[in-house]
Amino acid sequence: MNMEQILEEVIKPEHIAVETQHSISISNVTVSFNTKKGTYTAIKNISLDINKGEIVSFIGHSGCGKSTLMNTISGMTKPTIGHVKANGNLVKGPGPDRGLVFQNYSLLPWLTVFQNIYVAVDSSLKDLTKAEKKQLVEKNLKMVNLWEHQHKLPSHLSGGMKQRVAIARAFAINPKILLLDEPFGALDALTKGTMHVELLKLWNLDNRDKTIVMVTHDIEEAIFLSDRVVVLNNGPEATVKEIVSINLDRPRNKKDIVHNPEYIRIHDRLLSLLVDKLSIHDM
Amino acid sequence: MKKIFNLQTVYSFLFFVGSLFLLGLIWQAVSIITKNEIPGPLATWVIAKEMFAEPFYDYGPNDKGIGIQLMSSLWRVFLGFGIGSLIAIPLGMLMGTSPFIMRLFNPIVQILRPVSPLAWFPLGLLAFKAAAGATIFIITITSLWPTLINTSFGVSSIPQDHKNVGKAFGFSKWKYITKILIPFALPHIITGLRLSIGIAWMVIVAGEMLSGGSGIGFFVWDSWNGLSLEKILVAILIIGAVGLLLDKLFNMLQNVFAWDKK
Repeated sequence: MNMEQILEEVIKPEHIAVETQHSISISNVTVSFNTKKGTYTAIKNISLDINKGEIVSFIGHSGCGKSTLMNTISGMTKPTIGHVKANGNLVKGPGPDRGLVFQNYSLLPWLTVFQNIYVAVDSSLKDLTKAEKKQLVEKNLKMVNLWEHQHKLPSHLSGGMKQRVAIARAFAINPKILLLDEPFGALDALTKGTMHVELLKLWNLDNRDKTIVMVTHDIEEAIFLSDRVVVLNNGPEATVKEIVSINLDRPRNKKDIVHNPEYIRIHDRLLSLLVDKLSIHDM
Repeated sequence: MKKIFNLQTVYSFLFFVGSLFLLGLIWQAVSIITKNEIPGPLATWVIAKEMFAEPFYDYGPNDKGIGIQLMSSLWRVFLGFGIGSLIAIPLGMLMGTSPFIMRLFNPIVQILRPVSPLAWFPLGLLAFKAAAGATIFIITITSLWPTLINTSFGVSSIPQDHKNVGKAFGFSKWKYITKILIPFALPHIITGLRLSIGIAWMVIVAGEMLSGGSGIGFFVWDSWNGLSLEKILVAILIIGAVGLLLDKLFNMLQNVFAWDKK
């Protein structure tokens, strides 16, 4: 993609250099829920370190606990055993240092596009003046090309536009970590592709400074976006099955990448990791 | 709301007129069957014209125009309904937010809700030592239930998605209430208010018949003592028409605040 290539040249290598301190550090995390049938352990003994500026995907079958794992980083779910550190601090609950994008967009339907982002900015960045907050909303809405739709209610937007608002909202509070829970799951394939490029564009604009963790069940999406793909076993008591590194140069081109031998190798590897389980499941 | 006069509104109007005409026919039939013991529409219309000719006359405490009676009834209804809503909306929000408070208060609501307004009246007299206070008291206590129940239902059904937005972006309690809780619950609250104002308007007639002094209910009772059935019939039609207007008013509010239908 042209835009990315231009940005790539502008960004100096020292900006991209990965710091040694982990952005996210998951230590020996187990999450159990109390249900009517007894204790249900969703994920068990998971440890994982994620570097600053890294894009990591969690992939696995439905109900394997990938969202649960993500929620321990966001602070929506508390680990039963173990702990999670984000930006050097122990995660005790949700906080403005971690921006969230939900699968179903989660925009407030009674607020306009502008207001939806403004309330988030207003609660998360209390030190700014009103004018600065408005400016921030404007900047982020323009970044996702939705400034002219600022007065619309979410119900008047398409799925892709809603998700762009949700992404703009997450970026607007300028979090060091961005957590995306199946963010493009509800979009059609064409919109999805555009959104992938948009997301990387925003990441580049920010000097590849933000750590992005994404939950997905789409192999192509995971490879195109990520530096590492974490494959989870089927739940209950899901563990990390394998971590696959994606050593493909950035910027990646959606059209060319599929012919890259390394891409094909990774794709096959992930497919066999996931499909292998499916066939056992089928018997 | 693009065009006000389209074919649909013309049809609605025609049906409304037709319905009124049908009511008049039934009324006339009843009048004939009872050998004019119940006056017919025409006889009533003569009296109605007299009443409407000077609606705001005031010849002392027992002889006031229908307009004055109506105003004093409406004032009491809004006062009782207003006090009831001021209790019901915050309490409903608390019940909807906290399962503990819901379980604590729900049996009280279920026991007190079906109690007839007339049963409350003596308690009101005792508490306020005046009939006027007692009337407002019974309106308050019988009209607050639908608002209370609808508010608590609305608040308790806020989707997890919306709550997550508040959590993820660190909304303060106040921001959560003003940006998520109230906007989501508002259509439910207004539905409750609409049902409540209907009840308040029904109760006012009974209340004023007991309390006397002034109001449309008192007017009905006074006309019965004066054996003017025509006046009672006019009062019934006025009560019905005002009830309809109050309902339409809250229906309009419902449409204004219905974010889900925009």
